[in-house]
Amino acid sequence: MARFDTLNHAWMVWDGPAPAPEEAVLEYTRELEQFLADIERRAFRMAQVALRDPDDALDVVQDTMLKLARNYASRPSAEWRPLFYRILENGIRDLQRRRSVRKRFMTWLPGAKEDPDNEAQDPLDNVADAAPAIPEVLMQGQAMQQLEMSLRALPARQREAFMLRNFEGLDVAETAAAMGCSEGSVKTHYSRAVHTLREQLGEVW
Amino acid sequence: MNEQPGNSFEERAQALFRDSVEGLDFAMRSRLTQARNAALEAAVARRRPRFLRIGVLTPAAGVTAAAVLGAFLWLGSPLGQHAVTVADGQSNLEVLDLVASVDEGSGDAMDMLQDDIEFYDWADKAANPGPAA
Repeated sequence: MARFDTLNHAWMVWDGPAPAPEEAVLEYTRELEQFLADIERRAFRMAQVALRDPDDALDVVQDTMLKLARNYASRPSAEWRPLFYRILENGIRDLQRRRSVRKRFMTWLPGAKEDPDNEAQDPLDNVADAAPAIPEVLMQGQAMQQLEMSLRALPARQREAFMLRNFEGLDVAETAAAMGCSEGSVKTHYSRAVHTLREQLGEVW
Repeated sequence: MNEQPGNSFEERAQALFRDSVEGLDFAMRSRLTQARNAALEAAVARRRPRFLRIGVLTPAAGVTAAAVLGAFLWLGSPLGQHAVTVADGQSNLEVLDLVASVDEGSGDAMDMLQDDIEFYDWADKAANPGPAA
């Protein structure tokens, strides 16, 4: 009987063939593992673009994986991707809201310092302009940093639409499902995002 | 399913993003893998039929089973049976006490029991009370 590595400790008590319900669980668990393995790095980078902090991004991605696996694993696998990104975007928004509340609260405290999450404190702002001698890899890294900064400056819905459509490659319908809005709204958000990004980055790129 | 961006700006953005994904360091990849495994284990634990979840509780179940078996053996032993079946209500400990309290001058207690046929007869009747004649 095929065994799933991470589940061995729970499986070892059974010597004979597993009953059908357990095989079904294993089957879609394997499929889910493949799905998550395929999507996790992109999801992490998208969360990192939105949140900047890698630990926060990892927390949100992990939470998203857990919620998807617990609540939606039995759904058809074709639905997983929009569901995953819907959970992810909700998680990102929740975290940003908490940060916003915290920042507002901190400003009321006497002697409170500037919140490190403040955009004005972004260390990436201090990155020097590209010089002709910089190797290609470094230039690409810098271009990505500029893109990330511009994406963070976008309204949340435009950023979501751009990342889901452009980075993740979701079609309009999937993006609409992930964002919980109409396809028309997705097109509008995406179009505005591209327009703004082109204006900001066009000359630099 | 996927609609690819159709101009150079969008293609460049996509390529940069892919490069940044490929450039994730090993430590972060490892943490992501751990997160994935944790999610999958949680999912399977939730989906596994209830009767199969007992596999996780094997150590506790083993201890409980051992305790039940021990209690069963104790109550099912000849000692325990005597405590229940002796007709005159004497406990097993009382019988032992009688045996142990025999005068030392009358010889070994075991020798006395071997010689006392009446005692064996009484014990047999007490342990297996037959139908009233």
